[in-house]
Amino acid sequence: MIALGESVSDTQQAWLRTHLEDCEACRHYAEAVNGVVRTLRSMPLAADARLVRATQMRVRFHASRLRETRERMWLVAMACLGVGLSATLTIPFLWRLFAWMGEWAGVSTLVWQAGFVFFFFAPALVVGVLLVARGTHLANDGEHLR
Amino acid sequence: MNAAAHYFVNLMESEASVIARGLRRHDPDLLDRLIEQYQHRLLRYLVYLSGNRELAEDLFQETWIRVLERGHQYDGKHEFSTWLYAVARNLTIDYLRKMSPLSLDGLMEDGEHAPLEPADPRPMAWELMQQHQQAERISAALLRIPAEYRETVMLRFQEGLALDEISTVTRSPLGTVKSRLYRGLNMLMMLLERAQA
Repeated sequence: MIALGESVSDTQQAWLRTHLEDCEACRHYAEAVNGVVRTLRSMPLAADARLVRATQMRVRFHASRLRETRERMWLVAMACLGVGLSATLTIPFLWRLFAWMGEWAGVSTLVWQAGFVFFFFAPALVVGVLLVARGTHLANDGEHLR
Repeated sequence: MNAAAHYFVNLMESEASVIARGLRRHDPDLLDRLIEQYQHRLLRYLVYLSGNRELAEDLFQETWIRVLERGHQYDGKHEFSTWLYAVARNLTIDYLRKMSPLSLDGLMEDGEHAPLEPADPRPMAWELMQQHQQAERISAALLRIPAEYRETVMLRFQEGLALDEISTVTRSPLGTVKSRLYRGLNMLMMLLERAQA
């Protein structure tokens, strides 16, 4: 009953109370357990202020970094959306421009199409490589400072 | 349930919802408040789960970092403390698995824990001294019972969690919780009787 508390029915509680009145061994055991439970409930084990302050500072710092990351990802998502939309709108015009330039220069279809593909992907590749290099450089700086 | 109880239940629900919303936003003021509010309870739980105060203090910090990172998983439908203990428990288990491939049972290693010091070392009156000695005996005996039983006993009697809440924290069926509580108390009483004999 001590441990189970509210999950013991009224009938069971009444039976147990009657039994404890009659059985000395069980009564002593119940008193001993009650004593232990009282001590458990009052045992002093406290966190100190230093630990709490250090934890709060660390959590705040981490929270600000998470917020920065979220804002950065939001910018990246908006940039990707913008690029996607502009690409969708401009691809037909660029394709016709390259087709005309290929015809004007007298090169084969394969050549001007390859040129179009390179022109289309090259800027994104260059920017991607630069961002990865910057990210790697920052990560190395961080490890160096640690 | 009468009107007052309904009021308090709704109050608890709305506080849990506020906490859930704040955690999703990574609200630093809310986190500061929660760290202060649960500092003693969480540290106590970690100390008795891990059996080592220094380790418990490290886990204390890591628990709150994890609360920050996974705050979106708290849905606000249950008490925050239940979820907090579950996070602390999982973190402790993950940490111990990295150190050595043991289950929570592996925490029961008699001689390897730093003694758990009481918070107040000042000289005390006779009654307080007796309580202090009794507390030390119980602390020592607690560390000798299996970690799963110790955890259940602590959650029930120190943290005052209901049995279904303990079941949620430990991800164990209610019957298992009752069985651990019963066996844990029995083992504790046997160890205390032997120590006194």
